Amino acid sequence: MFAQATEQRPPAHRYLDVVGAAKSFKGTVVMDNMNFRVAKGELVSLLGPSGCGKTTLLRIIAGLLEADTGDIILGGRNVSSLPAHKRNISVVFQNYALFPHLTVAENVAFGLRARGMSKSDVKAPVAEALALVRMDTFADRPVSALSGGQQQRVAVARALVVSPDLLLLDEPFSALDRKLRETMQIELKALLRSRGITAIFVTHDQEEAMGVSDRIAVMNSGRIEQFADPSTLYAQPASPFVMDFVGLSTRLTGHVIAQADGIATVKTHVGKVRANSQLVVGTPVQVGVRPELITPDPSTEMNQIKVQLDDVMTLGSKTVLHGVTTGADKFLCELPGIRTGYARGETVTWGWAVADTLIHEVPA
Amino acid sequence: MIARSNRIALLAVPGLAFLAIIYALPLVMLLFKSIQGAEGLTLVTYIDFFRDEFNQTVLWRTLRVALLTTLLALVIAYPTAFAMARAKGIWLTVFMVALVLPMSLGVIVKAFAWSILFRSNGFLNTTLQAIGMTDGPVRMLFTETALIVGAANVFLPFMVLPIYSVLRQLNSSLPEAASSLGATPWFRFTRVTLPLSLPGVVAGSAFTFSLAISMYVIPSLIVGERQQTLSMLIARSFLYLRNEPLGSTISAVLLAIAIFVVLFSSWLAGRLGARQ
Repeated sequence: MFAQATEQRPPAHRYLDVVGAAKSFKGTVVMDNMNFRVAKGELVSLLGPSGCGKTTLLRIIAGLLEADTGDIILGGRNVSSLPAHKRNISVVFQNYALFPHLTVAENVAFGLRARGMSKSDVKAPVAEALALVRMDTFADRPVSALSGGQQQRVAVARALVVSPDLLLLDEPFSALDRKLRETMQIELKALLRSRGITAIFVTHDQEEAMGVSDRIAVMNSGRIEQFADPSTLYAQPASPFVMDFVGLSTRLTGHVIAQADGIATVKTHVGKVRANSQLVVGTPVQVGVRPELITPDPSTEMNQIKVQLDDVMTLGSKTVLHGVTTGADKFLCELPGIRTGYARGETVTWGWAVADTLIHEVPA
Repeated sequence: MIARSNRIALLAVPGLAFLAIIYALPLVMLLFKSIQGAEGLTLVTYIDFFRDEFNQTVLWRTLRVALLTTLLALVIAYPTAFAMARAKGIWLTVFMVALVLPMSLGVIVKAFAWSILFRSNGFLNTTLQAIGMTDGPVRMLFTETALIVGAANVFLPFMVLPIYSVLRQLNSSLPEAASSLGATPWFRFTRVTLPLSLPGVVAGSAFTFSLAISMYVIPSLIVGERQQTLSMLIARSFLYLRNEPLGSTISAVLLAIAIFVVLFSSWLAGRLGARQ
């Protein structure tokens, strides 16, 4: 019954449907039975370390790489067997891949010209696309004369002017410096939203993924470990890998020694830690906590841990305390604003709410 | 104190001196002979050269053969270079060896091998007659066509390698970007790959044309005295006719063409490069 109900969901929820895609390179499986679904108008990120298969998935969707098996359905159309140029999927490449022998306007016109539009017909849409990314005054410049941020804008205009059914962006911000990157993220997100573009970003930067996307698929070794909105991903990571990759956290390993009313008590080498969990006694686990959930003034019902203050970093918007346990585990405690009164070398007791403990079963 | 860059420039002195003494000096002396008349300097040998109908025929044939050789080599080389640029591992090695190895085999060996292929009772003629394409043997040896085919064969690596090296360095995401923008393979090739590989085409063509216009051994062996080229005319002037002013004059004409090709191709390559 439920399975059927899922099948009858409105098609908008599965605008892009990757079904059972698999890919091997020279006998090495890089992706196996990949299922991935994106709704219309959604901004999604594929997040993971290099070699996790995110770029492979992007290239398979774009048609630049052929999957060994599996289907790619886009807007109800099976595009699996179509070559890249018939899919109407635009790609913004990591290095932008602007055509060096063409001007800015000629670059943007390329996709329209490829679709058979005449030189005079492309003028208006090209001008509009360039205005959209505020590059209209650069129309006749060679692309080699542009800065990184300007090149990215041109690449985006070139990709959007053809009204793609899907926009793929491969590490689009990685070539920009930090300040510019943040500005471009805000700009691009607003632009894509205003035009209702469905887009998939590939990135290894979790902050970027959280900043630009509605949902994030965290990838590891060719699989999606968790596909959720940024807050779920951060607050309820589905695996130790996701917990580790998204946001900073402190980890301790141990095993469950008591289970009572859904609260598991875990014995670690630096003391007991309690967590909301149904895991049974004897289960080997990893527990963790986010730095901003740790308080330097714990109440008695909290998990508590003794650390020696190793460093105090005043970052302006926040102060980060570095603590080291007797077992040499590093703990971070993030406090908002500028805090004083902490001295390096002093031993303090930190704590966090039982409900804030992240717990995952790990192989023994 | 000499600036550092100037001191580094001094490293070029031995090479330049070598070229000046072994190449430039004798060349200037040779060219001087072409304008040295009995009563001072004169251009009479040039006027005589260009007035002579036989010389005109040879000049045009030389230019025509060089141009057609370049075109034939280009047509064969481009797809080869394209395939090589995509080749990996063992296949790339196979291509490279196949391309470079014949260069170590002297032109003379090649020419005699061709004569086996092209002569009237040779492989090609026997095959053509066997399949009924022709009734009698077709003359292939000693024709301009045979010369062009032979020359294009010898100079092929000089066309392939520059095009290959440009295509190899082409950013692979450019053709991919073209595809994702809806370009068919043909549109992608004509609007992206081909224009971006033109510097390689210009360099390869300049090499091949320069080699083809001054070739001596290949025409001597393939077409002999029947269809002379400028180089053969030069050799004949010096060796048989003992007419040094004539030989020098033809050398000057050949040099002028070569200089023009070099300057034109660098200008063209520079223009193409500036756009990129």
